[in-house]
Amino acid sequence: MKVSAIKPITFVLVKEIGMTVLLLFGVSIIAFLIILASPGDPFAQLYGGLSGSEAERKALYESLGIPTTWYGQYFSWLGNVLQGDLGNSIRSGRPVLAEVVSAGINTLYLTLGALIVTLAVAAPIAIYTAIRDNTRLTISFNLFAYMISAIPVFWLGYLGIYLSTHLFGFFPLGLGSSDSGNIAKFLLPIFILGMGSGLISEVVRHMREQVSRVMNEEYIRTARAKGAAVWKHAFKEGFLIPVTEIMAIKMPFIIGGAIIIEQVFNWPGMGRMAWQAAQDRDFPVILGITLAAAILVRLSSLLHKIVFVSVNPRASHL
Amino acid sequence: MSTNPLIKIEDLHTFFYSKAKQAFIRAVDGISMEVPRGKTLGIVGESGSGKSITMMSVLGLISAGPGVIRGKVIYDNGRIKKNLLQGLDDFVDLQEHDGTIMQVDKDLYGWQQHSEQLMKNIRGNEISIIFQNPKAAFNPFTVIGEQIAEMVLLHTRINDPVAAKAKALYWLERVKMDAPEVRYYNYPGALSGGMAQRAMVAMALASEPALLIADEPTTGLDATIQAKVLQLLAEIKADLGITIMIISHDIGVISSLSDYVAVMYGGTVLEYGSAKDVLSTAYEKKHPYAKALLASIPGLENIEKNGARLKAIKGEVLDTIRVVEGCKFASRCDCMTDSVKHKCNTQQPPLEDIGGGHKIRCWLYQ
Repeated sequence: MKVSAIKPITFVLVKEIGMTVLLLFGVSIIAFLIILASPGDPFAQLYGGLSGSEAERKALYESLGIPTTWYGQYFSWLGNVLQGDLGNSIRSGRPVLAEVVSAGINTLYLTLGALIVTLAVAAPIAIYTAIRDNTRLTISFNLFAYMISAIPVFWLGYLGIYLSTHLFGFFPLGLGSSDSGNIAKFLLPIFILGMGSGLISEVVRHMREQVSRVMNEEYIRTARAKGAAVWKHAFKEGFLIPVTEIMAIKMPFIIGGAIIIEQVFNWPGMGRMAWQAAQDRDFPVILGITLAAAILVRLSSLLHKIVFVSVNPRASHL
Repeated sequence: MSTNPLIKIEDLHTFFYSKAKQAFIRAVDGISMEVPRGKTLGIVGESGSGKSITMMSVLGLISAGPGVIRGKVIYDNGRIKKNLLQGLDDFVDLQEHDGTIMQVDKDLYGWQQHSEQLMKNIRGNEISIIFQNPKAAFNPFTVIGEQIAEMVLLHTRINDPVAAKAKALYWLERVKMDAPEVRYYNYPGALSGGMAQRAMVAMALASEPALLIADEPTTGLDATIQAKVLQLLAEIKADLGITIMIISHDIGVISSLSDYVAVMYGGTVLEYGSAKDVLSTAYEKKHPYAKALLASIPGLENIEKNGARLKAIKGEVLDTIRVVEGCKFASRCDCMTDSVKHKCNTQQPPLEDIGGGHKIRCWLYQ
């Protein structure tokens, strides 16, 4: 098979997945080392608390069948991971994989929902301000974008809780709570994260830049000269590519915001779980969540690459 | 069928504002010209003389402010007769002093919206354009065939995508594209400059327009490709009887196609007449600029006349920011006689008919 016969999209997929595997490997080592360097030991209670001696610790580890060296521990963990076993949570005793997946799905709802809110607010502002420069409305839109992005997300979250309890008489709880059927309660955290993650002003700036650049391209002039709909011609380069681009770049940022919002709204997602696990020194859970977060970030970047390659003939043809 | 010109431009002004120089760039400064039905008008002039801006102004394609601020463009194909700039001056507030425009306040967005309204059913449908740099003028994200088919769907009675594709293929064949079936699925980036220009011509013709505007259609192409594109345009002109406006800095390109020629300089028309009169060195009554342009073409005739050295026009193209009191070409003119010198430097000559529709803007002929 000739190299040119391989579809560019396959090439991108293989390359991205390969990169992801290497990256996850690196992430797991670093996370593992950070955990090791941090004070505390989940088994400390079993051998006399923090006052326990090194010899007592070794004896306990050996009796439990845990390797005593850090690389021994790492590779035994890695060996299990490669077989699809992320271990059990030290706190709850349940398998980490199942816990992380269910929490991950909740986080996905939150982050994707927030992303949609961000885009729904930012994209019209970006397009409007790109097409019409310096009217009173563009200035107020810009001001709004910057101000909303300057507000810390936790503050906005508490404000949302305050307003909803005082004005509407309910306390917004996240998914999994007994009355999660109530759509308003369910949507408030999503809305708050979408507005408050600080992304709005960045999306506005990036998209405005891209839209106004594309609107000045010669092929847009041709579209106008043809009497064709300009947005149809500008859509791919002016909207689709910038949106996936900013999404891929800002995914870690949104996950960071999600951790805070999950705390504020008691949303049973990865962020809250990570917070809990860090306090409990629940190492298998921390590692599992770190990997899941890395996978989420890589997935969004993969999505961007796929969109870019499939809409851009200069990347996929020739 | 009426004998009115298909398109008639009257007193068109297109300005831009230079922030750096705090002054207006008078890109098109009061142009009037007309294109008779079925004929070809060539617009020639050095770079920066306002040729392309004139074309863009006619079609409302200028997006920067102030842009078109005054003038009329009357389009009359026998069925539709309208001023393509009708009512646009309501969006422009001009402050004049001694006949020169000092300040322009323009509601750019309102102007553009209104212009779009006027241009509906005109752009693409009645008037098509071929741009220079065809590879950049095509949408790089779509195959060229679909872009041609889009034109068919938008502006002809064909509503069916399959029929539109067939029509697009017909036009690709018509412009002598080799392997149209293959080229249909090519992205613009995969085409050579010459092929892209052929595809551009096919796209422009696909709406079966009454007027074809070709803006520097051969600039940037190899000499042999240039000749082929010009030959293609000549064939189309002969076959379809379409009216063409061709814009070029190259007198060779203009002369091969034009019936009428307008010579532009500094945003004004200095000479307008039949191609045969304006472009032949034998015809004596000529604007000094046109004369100088003709003398600057490399060619046997000029070598015999001037020796081996090419005769360049002295000086630089007019800086269109400056407001010129007299004739715009005065500073570079070789033909100024003592009797008109004072007038040349103080008063702009009118574009006067010197007989038979041949118009010259020069005090020598008044």
